[in-house]
Amino acid sequence: MDASSGAELRERLIGALGDKNVRFAAEDLAAYAYDAYAESSVPFIVAAPSDARQVSAVVRIAAACGVPIVARGAGTGLCGGSVPTSGGVVLSFSRMNRVLSLDAANRRATVQPGLINFDLSRAAEPFGLFFGPDPSSQKISTIGGNTATNAGGPHALAYGSMSANVLGLEYVDSLGDITRISVDDAGYDLVGALVGSEGTLGIVTAIELRLLRAPRAIRVGVAAFENVEAASETVSAAIGAGIRATALEIMDSTIVQAVEAHYHAGFPLDAGAVLLVETAGEPDDVAASERALATLAREHGALSWRSAGSARERDALWASRKGAAGALGRLAPNYYIQDATVPRTRLPQAIAQVEAIAREHGLRVGNVFHAGDGNLHPLLLFDRRERREVEAVVHAGHDILVCCIELGGTISGEHGIGYEKRDALALVFNPNDLAAMLRLRDVFDPRRLFNPDKIFPSGAVCAEVLAAS
Amino acid sequence: MTTARALDPKHFALGERFPEAVHAPDSVEALGALVRDCNARQRAIVFFGGGTLQGLGHVPERYDVAIRVGRINRVLEYDHRDLTIAVEAGCTLAALGRALAAHGQFLPLDAPRSSQATVGGTLAGGWLGPRRSAYGSPRDFVIGTSVVLADGSVAKAGGMVVKNVTGYDLSKLYLGSLGTLGALVRVNFKTLPIPQTRRLAFAPLPEGTRGRALKHVAALSIEPAAALAVSGFSKEIDGTEGPDGRVIVLLEGSPRSVESATRELRSALGSAGVPETRLVDSDVEVAFERIVDAYVASLGARSATYRSGGLPGDATPRSDAFVRVAQSCKLKLETIEDIRSGDVIARLSTATTRDLEERLVSFDAERRTALAGARVLAAPQAVRARLDAWGALPASLATMRALKAQFDPNCTLAPGRYVGRI
Repeated sequence: MDASSGAELRERLIGALGDKNVRFAAEDLAAYAYDAYAESSVPFIVAAPSDARQVSAVVRIAAACGVPIVARGAGTGLCGGSVPTSGGVVLSFSRMNRVLSLDAANRRATVQPGLINFDLSRAAEPFGLFFGPDPSSQKISTIGGNTATNAGGPHALAYGSMSANVLGLEYVDSLGDITRISVDDAGYDLVGALVGSEGTLGIVTAIELRLLRAPRAIRVGVAAFENVEAASETVSAAIGAGIRATALEIMDSTIVQAVEAHYHAGFPLDAGAVLLVETAGEPDDVAASERALATLAREHGALSWRSAGSARERDALWASRKGAAGALGRLAPNYYIQDATVPRTRLPQAIAQVEAIAREHGLRVGNVFHAGDGNLHPLLLFDRRERREVEAVVHAGHDILVCCIELGGTISGEHGIGYEKRDALALVFNPNDLAAMLRLRDVFDPRRLFNPDKIFPSGAVCAEVLAAS
Repeated sequence: MTTARALDPKHFALGERFPEAVHAPDSVEALGALVRDCNARQRAIVFFGGGTLQGLGHVPERYDVAIRVGRINRVLEYDHRDLTIAVEAGCTLAALGRALAAHGQFLPLDAPRSSQATVGGTLAGGWLGPRRSAYGSPRDFVIGTSVVLADGSVAKAGGMVVKNVTGYDLSKLYLGSLGTLGALVRVNFKTLPIPQTRRLAFAPLPEGTRGRALKHVAALSIEPAAALAVSGFSKEIDGTEGPDGRVIVLLEGSPRSVESATRELRSALGSAGVPETRLVDSDVEVAFERIVDAYVASLGARSATYRSGGLPGDATPRSDAFVRVAQSCKLKLETIEDIRSGDVIARLSTATTRDLEERLVSFDAERRTALAGARVLAAPQAVRARLDAWGALPASLATMRALKAQFDPNCTLAPGRYVGRI
């Protein structure tokens, strides 16, 4: 962008938002160049609107200047979804972080996109309600970001990902118009189309969410196994037997060692893998399901089974599960977390292949994953300063995706495609499939100003793919 | 097998329009070729599953060809241990239910006339059943789709895994699109284990008990799978009707939780002045299907049915609005109020066919204030063109039009049938 049009963009944004809410100093911009993905790119300017009208103003100004707009929540995304790869305006939701309304009788809440996920459940708690999706990042990630990626978390098994919990949206379209949509509207399910669209179709400014009634009983149990395969087979068997758990999470020994050193929640250190099981609902049912799960675990060679005796113990187990990735800092300077999904019966094979891939590339891997959903999260450990290791991680990450696709799975269960996996999208979808998706893109953002370079294969790959259609 | 009757255009009326031709392709390829050909020759298509929800939507502006999808009906993949199944869109709900039941699983799609209704038609019609507050809507169970688009090409979205954020979730757009963006040909679902126990509870409501009874049922701590307040429908739905109608509650779960729920329900109804609750434990599925069938059941050509959706908290005011407007238009009213989801189903009728049309047309005009969002579920063909099939238009109509233009630029697929005459 040349100096004069840059100055014009800056002046117009300051005019609309006030100079406190527009940042362009190099040290400010640096903070918005990253999310939790490896690559970064500095935006031209950062705008922090306070309401939908200001968001609309930012979109109109950016569109008039022909620069991209990248919406950003907390920047916890793992695939570069909020990295401004083509520069332009980063739209920060740091000032739009309130619960706008909470209708306990009808169990819904309307919130601003910058609200932190955990703060919603906290606001709902006094009414005996909670919010279902709970990504491990829930204490920092925002509802807006969760909506953009269709985030899940351990409890997606029981309560669904964001798309099952978003009932309505207010969004700013590419012309700057503000529209409210609801899943109850007559006509096409635009809410369903926008959730998970990673900021490429519109900028969401309010989100109406379903709240759930807190279960009357919750139990958490931990089974120890000799290896991940045995734990995975237990999960496959539990799913197949129709036992309804609210979470089924596996951690391998690498992860268990790291989290125990950090959290001391009481996971068994001598096991090759642990399975964390949560059941919730009516007290009788919960106890029966837990017994059934404990029996299945034993039948699949569990070395031990322990039920959390108190809410405190339960919370400690969950805190360490959700802090697993962070705890790996003890083992290596850096880690790369992959996200892929396989049919649940294929978990044991997928895990065995992930370990083989890591071995082949000379890398250490830790596995912590949402086993009940078949959603893998292999963590590849490396040192960013070692070029060989960085290359090995890139190749191993790709091989893991290919292996999951071959097992009937896909390349992202909950983190999104973002910048990182856009070329891999063509491994899953053929040119016809991608062309249909691009039709939707053309409806909402024909000029490609909303979060460009994301989801769809990069220029060359995309042209190649579409030429074949 | 396709009989001559199954391809006779006179059985494919929409309003007072009939297609020139009816086709029943037996493969996705054949369906694709047909659509491509129609698109090239600007012939308007309406897709048919079992025809059970064809009462939805406007009468199309043009209607040249009906395409039945019912012969494309195989179960494609079912690894029951994964709790996922892929079926072709022409598979009936009953056939899907049987395939799942063989492995102790089910899908709470809860659409009427399950032995005729197809998976594709039910989903394209955007059907929402009474158990969705307990288990989720059809959109929550669909994990992948393939559609034949207007140009005859096949495009898939989603996959065979239960958690998937790979690419745009186009399946959501096809659900409820009434065949205006493409024809569903394959649907992948995640499934559920069948609950151990099912029980239906029927309670006639003595005079003056309705308000409290509904409030108490809504507040049950053990949430039922479905809870309905029914008034009328005495031929279609079981249970003795009281002066204030009847409450019907479906309980599903373990034997112990169903027992506890029954005790709680009885005491909640008792304290609302409802003394009698009859329990049904055998053939519960059959009895429940009869209830769902009533949603679109017509009384020959002398009734029409509307659905009003909204918050559970304002279902009763919407029910009351139906009573008011029906009374002023001299229409008999029967209702099913869904206490959990907030849906109100209203069937309006007259004693003779002759009286219906004018009264219904004035009802349709009068209800636009109090019941703006109500949609037509079923109406006699002769009246359809005069009713506002979709109710209030959404704020995003312009975007919807743009979407239609992208997916069906020649307006081949049911032109004029959809919201805002899209």
